[in-house]
Amino acid sequence: MKKIYLIAFLALAGAWIVRGQTNVASTNAVSTNTVAEILALVTTNTPAPAPPQPPSPKTNAPTKIDSDSADFDMNGHQAIYHGNVRVDSPQMKLTCAQLTVNLPPAGGHIQHIVAETNVVIDATDEKGGTNHVTCDKAVYDYKVQESMTNEPITLTGNPQVVNAQGTNTADEIIWDRATGHVWEKNPHMVSSPNVDIGKTDTNSPASGANNPPMPKLF
Amino acid sequence: MKMKFHNSVLVATFFAATWFAATIVRAQQNAAGHASDFSSAEYYDAPHAQQMKSRISGAEASPQPGGLLDIKKLKLEEFGVDGRLEAVAEAPECVYDSMNGLANSPDHLQMQTGDGNLSVEGEGFLWRQTNHWLTISNHVQTVIKGVMESKTGL
Repeated sequence: MKKIYLIAFLALAGAWIVRGQTNVASTNAVSTNTVAEILALVTTNTPAPAPPQPPSPKTNAPTKIDSDSADFDMNGHQAIYHGNVRVDSPQMKLTCAQLTVNLPPAGGHIQHIVAETNVVIDATDEKGGTNHVTCDKAVYDYKVQESMTNEPITLTGNPQVVNAQGTNTADEIIWDRATGHVWEKNPHMVSSPNVDIGKTDTNSPASGANNPPMPKLF
Repeated sequence: MKMKFHNSVLVATFFAATWFAATIVRAQQNAAGHASDFSSAEYYDAPHAQQMKSRISGAEASPQPGGLLDIKKLKLEEFGVDGRLEAVAEAPECVYDSMNGLANSPDHLQMQTGDGNLSVEGEGFLWRQTNHWLTISNHVQTVIKGVMESKTGL
């Protein structure tokens, strides 16, 4: 009797282990183990998970901030960097004279960053296009409302965006990092694309609201 | 004559004992002035009066003129109301003004948040305990991990 219990126990344990292995490797859809195949059929009631994507080095790499000096307000959870501020992230490089970062609670997302005075941003989009941004002030905000994420970057003080499509200037340029869309308030000038004259297959950048997605800066 | 001898012995013994006692007292004073495992804590106001807000500690503390303390192996810790470690800063040495709540040093300082997502280092610092304000004077380098990631990648 004890042997029967022991065999049943071992069989259950083996099936459980195999099922665990199958869940991990189910995307390969190749198995020579009969038990595993049966269990795989059972588990195919739920959609198979997408193949795991390799972690993007862009998002995993840390952001570095260098400056001449800095103040850290522990009560206000704020860091203020002064003098020759350089931000180096996989997506962009930023320089300015002063950078204020609201530090998030443990494990949280940074929700507010202000870059001031001689702000220069060089960002690369997903397609490898370069964007050169200059302004007096750039404000980044991170908000989640009703499961929608908004990450607007508001550029003020003679903001200018130069990329392969041309040069944009306006009183204010708002760039939503989450969606990639850009809005311009009172655009002053939309220059010709930075391409050879006569080339007709390049659209000039649109101005005003609902512009096409732009590369994300941060 | 015999009596005089006894008296001189007594006097010599007295002076020897006095000198010996004075030596002992001086040694104790030295030991008391050079403290080890120095620690000074600040607590939250009520209703969290039992919760530590910050702590400055060191492996050694030596008194300096003007009521200052020379602290070796400085450690500054900041805690949340819930007791969670919010930040810890370390430096090899600093001068601590306990009366005004100031700690400063030209030495290297390393700081890290409790979750390890942000680490900072630089040369020279001033810590104002009264308003929990840390200034790093030169060559500030910060590394932020994982908090600028967006769902869409960039």
